[in-house]
Amino acid sequence: MVTTPATSGLSLGLSAIRHGYTLGRDFTAVIGGVTLNIAAGEFVALLGPSGCGKSTLLRLIAGLEAPHEGEILADGLPVAGPHPDRILMFQDPTLYPWRTVRQNVSLSQDISGKKDAAAVDDIISLVGLSGFERAWPHQLSGGMAQRAALARALINHPKLLLLDEPLGKLDALTRLTMQTELHRLWKERGFTAVMVTHDVEEALFLATRIVTLSARPARIVSDIQVDLPFHRHRDDPQVLQLRRDILTRLGHRDDW
Amino acid sequence: MSGTDISLTDRIGTRHPDAGITRRHPAILPWLPGPVWLADALVTWRWPDADDFPDTTLLAILFAVTGIALLTAAATGVLTKRAPWATALGSGFGAWEIAQAKLLSLPRPFFGTPQDLLDVFITDWHRLGDSLLHSLGLLAAGYTVGSLAGIATGIGLGRSKRFRYWVHPVLRAIGPLPPVALLPLTFVLIPSSWLAGEALMALASGFPAAILTWSGIAAVDPAYYDVARTMGARERFLTLRVALPAAMPQIFVGLFMGLGASFAMLIIAEMLGVKAGLGFYMQWAQGWAAYPNMYAALIVMSLMCTGLITLLFRLRDRILVWQKDGLKW
Repeated sequence: MVTTPATSGLSLGLSAIRHGYTLGRDFTAVIGGVTLNIAAGEFVALLGPSGCGKSTLLRLIAGLEAPHEGEILADGLPVAGPHPDRILMFQDPTLYPWRTVRQNVSLSQDISGKKDAAAVDDIISLVGLSGFERAWPHQLSGGMAQRAALARALINHPKLLLLDEPLGKLDALTRLTMQTELHRLWKERGFTAVMVTHDVEEALFLATRIVTLSARPARIVSDIQVDLPFHRHRDDPQVLQLRRDILTRLGHRDDW
Repeated sequence: MSGTDISLTDRIGTRHPDAGITRRHPAILPWLPGPVWLADALVTWRWPDADDFPDTTLLAILFAVTGIALLTAAATGVLTKRAPWATALGSGFGAWEIAQAKLLSLPRPFFGTPQDLLDVFITDWHRLGDSLLHSLGLLAAGYTVGSLAGIATGIGLGRSKRFRYWVHPVLRAIGPLPPVALLPLTFVLIPSSWLAGEALMALASGFPAAILTWSGIAAVDPAYYDVARTMGARERFLTLRVALPAAMPQIFVGLFMGLGASFAMLIIAEMLGVKAGLGFYMQWAQGWAAYPNMYAALIVMSLMCTGLITLLFRLRDRILVWQKDGLKW
């Protein structure tokens, strides 16, 4: 086992990314020119109206699709396809129902062929799933399933974690716990994180930087550095001020 | 982590809804089947046969032994849930014995007596056994080859556009054709009737396996592939370790349908071309008006088919332990 795991994240450079989909005969532009540089170790939250192309952006960074225009650099190298350094975590846990929790968590080891049982044990206990290694996914609650998905994503110490509303479907209280967890893991492991969310509070609670996007095709509307120290409390006046500021930028000034 | 998901613990602990139910049987019920079978024995032994039937004494002894065994089972508490069935079976045998062996109320030789059937098993067990083994061999080879080829074809259809382009039309042309329709052609084209039977059984089992494997793979959540791809999985892993297990429930439906189709094909092939096996035995028995032999062959055939279906379900339960459904065969 490696004694000092790679705890540093990778840096990302997106230059003039444009992307779209052809549905039938119509071409829909989804991303309309996004340029964004993210330093190693940042936690960036992407906020924007529904369907604005945030998830597409994550898929492009993950390398699951190639952008129509523009270039994505990870640590200075162009992204040519998926890579275990860049792990994408979805809104649904997408655990494989035919694998136990343990087998799901060790998925990437099966793919790479490098077995490391101790690493599996470590990550399972890190996300609080000890004792449930042999459970089937359908036996887990939503929060447990998402923890297993988190363990599966983090087991090989990825340098970049792409989170596509990973807490979107959890109940409010489980969500709070998971936000704390996510923050702790990010602190401990030092990976770079890019998280898509609809929840301004979640972004304020976790992110070092909040990027807001326009409606489709997505462009960057604002890029706010959140310099508040962790742990940020939800009723902190500065947090509340930022929250109002961001909601205004998202076009929700008159909503509360 | 604090482990706040309280709901999980009781979900893990949840047992099958039927597990806790213990139906209370009246205490007398387990004691019922034994006397019924003993009564069968007495009737068989003491009431004179209506005609000269073989093995009446042996049948009486068998009934008596069964009755004693059932009484022992009742005494040791083994016989509980099955007592009603054991009683019904005993009553049925008794009624048959009286109606046919003692009163001869149905025309012979189409309807035999219990001792006729027993006599077939005693005198002809060797040929019945041989036929069974032959049928099993024919079935095993054809079904296994057909199912594996079907699954492979289904994987190809589900994962490769080019394969689908070429194979799909062929499958549409040949698949829906009842394999029986190809029987005459096969016996002409393939000189060995055994090989011809194999080919038809493979066809019969391969088609549903291919279609359902394909359908299973087509229904796989694309996110499953994305998960593995972000971890660096290649086509081989995506096919064998993601698509295939995800499609497994559907594949078993195909295997089940294919097994039924193979049974039909097996018997037809044996009746029409292959000069061995249970189908051939039945054909022969009918030709010689040896109706008890036909019934005996039917019983063996039924046991073989249900046994094989049971085996398939066992395999399914093993491979699909992760499924929630509670279907039991």
